[in-house]
Amino acid sequence: MATLTINGRPVTAPAAASVLDAALSAGIEIPRLCHHPELSAWGGCRLCLVEVEGQRAPVPACGLAAKEGMVVTTRSERLTALRREVLDFLLSDHPLHCVICDKAGRCDLQRYAYEFGLLDSSHEKEFSRTLYQDDNAFFIRDHQYCISCTRCVRVCDEIVGATAIEVSQRGFGSYIATPFDAPLVETTCTFCGNCVQVCPTAALLPVERLGKGREWELTHTQTTCPYCGTGCTLDVATRNGEVVYVSGVPGAPANGEFLCTKGRFGLDFTTHAHRLRRPWVRRDLAYALGLVPEPPPAALGRSPLLRPPGLADTHVEVDWETALDLVAEKLAAVVQQDGPDAVGGVGSALATNEDNYVFQKMMRGSIGTNNVDLCARL
Amino acid sequence: MTASIRVGTSTCGLAAGAEETVRALQAAAAQLDLPAEIKRTGCLGACHREPLVEISTNGTSVLYGPMGPAHARELLAGHFGLPGAERPSEEWVVSRAADRRDYPYFAPQVKVTTVNCGVIDPLSLDDYLAAGGYEGLRRALALAPEAVIAAVQQSKLRGRGGAGYPTGVKWEICRNQPDPLKYLVCNADEGDPGAFMDRTVIEGDPHRVLEGMVIAAWAIGARRGYVYVRAEYPLAVKHLEAAIAQAREAGYLGTDILGAGLDFDIIVKEGAGAFVCGEETALMHSIEGKRGAPRMRPPYPAESGLWGHPTNINNVETYASVPSIMTGGAAWFAGLGTAQSGGTKTFALTGAVRLTGLVEVPIGMTLREVIFGIGGGIREDGTFKAVQIGGPSGGCLPAALLETPVDYEPLRATGAIMGSGGMVVVDEETCMVDFTRYFLSFTQSESCGKCVPCRIGTRKMLGILTRLTRGEGRPDDLERLERVADTVRTTSLCGLGTTAPNPVLTTLKYFRDEYTAHIHERRCPAGACAALR
Repeated sequence: MATLTINGRPVTAPAAASVLDAALSAGIEIPRLCHHPELSAWGGCRLCLVEVEGQRAPVPACGLAAKEGMVVTTRSERLTALRREVLDFLLSDHPLHCVICDKAGRCDLQRYAYEFGLLDSSHEKEFSRTLYQDDNAFFIRDHQYCISCTRCVRVCDEIVGATAIEVSQRGFGSYIATPFDAPLVETTCTFCGNCVQVCPTAALLPVERLGKGREWELTHTQTTCPYCGTGCTLDVATRNGEVVYVSGVPGAPANGEFLCTKGRFGLDFTTHAHRLRRPWVRRDLAYALGLVPEPPPAALGRSPLLRPPGLADTHVEVDWETALDLVAEKLAAVVQQDGPDAVGGVGSALATNEDNYVFQKMMRGSIGTNNVDLCARL
Repeated sequence: MTASIRVGTSTCGLAAGAEETVRALQAAAAQLDLPAEIKRTGCLGACHREPLVEISTNGTSVLYGPMGPAHARELLAGHFGLPGAERPSEEWVVSRAADRRDYPYFAPQVKVTTVNCGVIDPLSLDDYLAAGGYEGLRRALALAPEAVIAAVQQSKLRGRGGAGYPTGVKWEICRNQPDPLKYLVCNADEGDPGAFMDRTVIEGDPHRVLEGMVIAAWAIGARRGYVYVRAEYPLAVKHLEAAIAQAREAGYLGTDILGAGLDFDIIVKEGAGAFVCGEETALMHSIEGKRGAPRMRPPYPAESGLWGHPTNINNVETYASVPSIMTGGAAWFAGLGTAQSGGTKTFALTGAVRLTGLVEVPIGMTLREVIFGIGGGIREDGTFKAVQIGGPSGGCLPAALLETPVDYEPLRATGAIMGSGGMVVVDEETCMVDFTRYFLSFTQSESCGKCVPCRIGTRKMLGILTRLTRGEGRPDDLERLERVADTVRTTSLCGLGTTAPNPVLTTLKYFRDEYTAHIHERRCPAGACAALR
């Protein structure tokens, strides 16, 4: 624990905290672009420069360990001027396509340009990167908007462990690249998209998000990922009931902030036409139960349909009660005839731990068998 | 009587044709049946007279140069007074004195780190030992490590890489770290254009650098050392590796060095051509196999360096000074320099001076003494205009500042820096705007791109300077240039960025009229900018 003074206020910081951490936890906002709370301090954007008593030059708060008795100023005329100059540099190398940009409203650079009142760069515009890469189904890399903050590189290295990307070349010509500029699919990339999530600009965007509306038109809903028992928290951005993009939620209890490729990019099934939303019963069973007046056609495969057969040709939609009664009845019949060990159950990794627990309980307690397994064991 | 003939075959000598000279001398000596031992040595520093040939017999010594292969036979026959031969032309004679003080270029110099360069065979450990080599190590190992550190502190040796941090203090901080695993690094990634101090020392006297490192390892408690040398110095790498092999064989490296219980070995790591890897944190990243980009300090390498362990990083010249401190004494070394900094500094004197080369001078000598006393003034009777000191991170100083002593603080006060030792002299034919543009084009292309001000700011400065030299200057350009320079200097992450504006700021300060002439009169006073002729 260290107590330091920030902007004249005493602030207590835990051991190993940076001045930036200490300030943010005390509600003192410091501009920053390359910083991300889950990633190592980088010190590249130079926006979090603060003044420290006894030091001539301003120092980046992200890399400065909070020490007992430190006296820090985060806002001053000089700091504002320096931050403006740094933003002025960034804007000279960033096309201001904000009026048509998908990231508008959620772009950190746009936010700071607004805060510091910069309409455009005062310098000659010169764009260091023009590469546009759409070599995979999940996200695009539009290098013209990249500000080289390397959040993507760090998340890939420090959180995901894939190390699929690194800064290539140097100086003004540097850009984020895969080894030997190989397509992403040929690298160690797992397409988890955490790089997309931490990108502060429009350099990395989900393919599905392009042209689907702007931030202020989207509705954000927090939910639990349907894919596995981990139970990651998802923030699903939708527009008119359609999923636009999915991101993680900082501090989520099961997963923290980050997601895997399924949770982030696999939610398109939710609005798919083939998605099963209610139980269906085979037509022959439904006829036997008296749910439909006619028996199914004998040989559907050779029927003179003008369209390919669909689910409704072979099945009938029923309510949950009917479906569950039918299943219970059939299971009971099997147990009565051949004993409980004639029944086996396979749980699903898509279900939560709790659901799988209840499932095995049902198999053991209600059916009376130990024949329980789970797809994830295979 | 056997004569000893020494030919400087460092990179500079080889470039001037020294290898051909050696072969011609060997052939001529055989032909003339002269019992002469022909030795390849390092560089004496008088690059303007290369290839240099020194013939020593019975304590007399004559230095000849430039000696091309065509005159080898004539030289030998003449020097040894063979029948029918004429005495060698006086034009060839550089010096007749063993200490070479009769040549004005050498007279004011004080050689400490380069004392063996051009004298001994760099590939011969025996030569180094005969010149008193590894005596400093013997003395250091007889002392407690703390006493070695105290001696280095008393010697007032400061970092020769340019920043001038007191070496002894750095060693002490590193020694006091509780981590038992400590590393030592020698920074030989000499990247300033026109600078070749480190190359000359390694090529000409590699054991001296190793000896300095072993002494430092003893003082700090390091077990493993790296020499990070640029791959563009193949001869230096070769000499270094040969010296390391010899030192291992002779027990100056390895386990239980000289029976003192010191275990220390050195690995040579070649750079990959990035200037920024001369910055200590970028250099360490490069050794670790990471991208050569700097990181924020603190923690400083002495606290957390290679793989997170305390690491002492010094420049070649710094290590090369250490053996002499051990043998000559801290007081003697301190006495060579000024009140704040002891010893000597080596400079690569180039540009419009008459006599170019590598010079080693006591710290505190004035720029005038170096440029006019040693360098012989401006070539072709030109007029001195400026000296760029400290490489691309340094500053351009005008004639009015020629009395400035070469020392860390006085140079910093002018806006220049001591730097690693580049010293480029320019005459009236050089346009200061164009000259500045050259340095900015260098730093701009060598910026790693990690921090915004260096990545983009150097680019913007270069853009403005390029425009000025094309006659496309705008009235607000100088104000803009100053603003950008100030931002880059104040906000950049590492030394490359914080010093990159120095050439701009010093030329704007001392040669502002040249800038205004480019903008307002569309005129280049030096007549150098083609677009403004």
